[in-house]
Amino acid sequence: MFKNRGHFFETMTGSGQVTTGPLPIGQFVQLIKQTVSHDPLFRNQALKGEVTQWKQYASGHTYFSLRDQDGQMSAVIWKGKCPIDPSIKEGSEVVVIATLDLYVKRGNIQLVVQRIEPVNVLGELEKAKRLLIEDLKQEGELDRNRLPIPAVPKHIAIVTGAGSAALSDMHRLIDNRWPGLRRTVIGVLVQGPRAPQEIVRGLAVTRSLATEKTAKERGEPPVDLVIVGRGGGSPEDLWAFNLESVARAILASPVPVVSAVGHESDVLVSDLVADLRASTPSDAIERVVPSRNEMEFLLDEMDERLKVASRRQLIDCRQKITVLHSRLRVAPLAGLNRAKGEMMRIASRIDRAARQTLSVQSNALARYEASLAAVHPQRVLERGYSMTQTAEGAVLSSVEGLQSGQDIILHFADGSADAQILKTQKIEGTK
Amino acid sequence: MTDEQPTYTEAVLRLETIVSTLERGGMGLDETLKLYEEGADLLKRCKSELATAEGKLNELQLDEIEFELKAEKQ
Repeated sequence: MFKNRGHFFETMTGSGQVTTGPLPIGQFVQLIKQTVSHDPLFRNQALKGEVTQWKQYASGHTYFSLRDQDGQMSAVIWKGKCPIDPSIKEGSEVVVIATLDLYVKRGNIQLVVQRIEPVNVLGELEKAKRLLIEDLKQEGELDRNRLPIPAVPKHIAIVTGAGSAALSDMHRLIDNRWPGLRRTVIGVLVQGPRAPQEIVRGLAVTRSLATEKTAKERGEPPVDLVIVGRGGGSPEDLWAFNLESVARAILASPVPVVSAVGHESDVLVSDLVADLRASTPSDAIERVVPSRNEMEFLLDEMDERLKVASRRQLIDCRQKITVLHSRLRVAPLAGLNRAKGEMMRIASRIDRAARQTLSVQSNALARYEASLAAVHPQRVLERGYSMTQTAEGAVLSSVEGLQSGQDIILHFADGSADAQILKTQKIEGTK
Repeated sequence: MTDEQPTYTEAVLRLETIVSTLERGGMGLDETLKLYEEGADLLKRCKSELATAEGKLNELQLDEIEFELKAEKQ
C-alpha cells in the first residue's frame, strides 16, 4: 500500500526526484501549493459570492469568507492591494478577482483578492425595468384608456399572498365598508423566484373567472374587478411587480386591475400599466370598495327629493287647471269648444295621474277631477239647463238689456235652436 | 336612454338629472309623471343592485383554484 503511495508521489513530483519513503507533510503541502499555483484555473479567477465574516484589521489586511449555497472559502485582501468599496459589508454580493494560495504552515487554502466589486443586483434590475417601461411606452400601453372601476363591484378577485397581513387588512376594510361583499382570494407567492410566475397564473385565473361562462358554471357573477398586490418590502422583494410577464398579465385583463403594492416612493411597472394605482392594499380597498351605508343614504336622499319635487310639480299643474277652469266659465261660446277639448285632455291626464303610485297627490287630483266634472258646462246642459246667446254670440246671463223681438240662440246638450224674445220679466230683488 | 341596462353610475347620473329637472319645475303633468316613473324605476334598480354585491367569500390557493377551473372545463 505504501509502495503504491510512493509511486504516486514519484509521479506527482514530475521532476526526477524519486521518493521512496513516506513523504514529509510539509513537502506534501508544498507540492500542492506548486500544483495549484501553476494551474491557470486558480489564478486571477473571477468569482462571485456573498461576503461573510468580514473583518478589517488594524494592520490594514481584510479577511472574509466568500460563500454561496454550495460552498465557501476564506479570502484575504492584503493591505493596499486593492481599493475596497465602502458599501461592502457582511452579506454583500461581490465579484472578486482572486488567486488561490495555500498557506503552507497551516495547510489552509485561501483566496488572495486582487480586486473586489459589489454586485449591484438592483442596478441591473433597474436597467431592465427602464427598458421595459420604454417598450411599453412605445407600444402605447402607458397611454391606453383605463377601464373604469365599477361603482358597485359585484365580484372582486384578489391576487395576493395567502395568509398575509396585507390580506387580513383588506378583509377587515372590506367588511367595514361593505359587509359580505363577494370576493375570491387567489393565494400566490408574492416574493422570491417563483413569485412572477404565480402572479401571472393568478391573473390568468381572474381572467377565467371574469368570463360569463365560467361565472355561470360556478354560480356566481363574473369577476368585475381585480386587485393584485402585497404589503411593503425592500425593492428586491417587490421586484416581481416590475417584470414584463406580470405587466403583460395585467394588460391582458378584460376587467379593471388595481395595482396594490405597499410602497411610497418608487413607481412599479405594475402601477404604470394597471387601471388604478393604489399605494397599499388598504388604499386599494378604500378606493374601490364603496361604503354601503353611504350609498344607501344617497339613494334614500334621492328618493326623497324625487318625491318632493314631483309632488310640487303636480300641485303646480293643479293650479294651472284651476286657472283654465275659471277662464272656461267666462269664455264666450267661440272658445268653448276649444276649452272643452283642452278640458278633456286634462281630465284624461288626471285619470292617469290618479292611477300613479303617488297616492296622496293623485287622490287629491282625483277628487279634483270629480268636482271639475260636476261643473263641466256639458254636464249642466245634460241636466236640462240651456245656455242663451245673442245672435252676435255673447252669452246671456241676465234679462237686462233684452228687447222684445230680439233674436237669440238657445244651446242644449244636443244642439241649438234659434228663438225670439217675446217679453222680459225681471225677478224683484235680483241685481 | 337605450335598451341596454344602464350601469349603476349611469343610473345615478340620470336620477340626478331627473330630480334636478323636477326641482327646477315648469313641466306639464305628463312630463312630471313620466319623469317620476322613470326616477322611481331607476331608484328601485339601484337599490336592488346594492343587494347583488353581497355574496360568498372564496379563499383558495393558486393550485386549488386552477384545479377547480380545470375540473369545471371537463
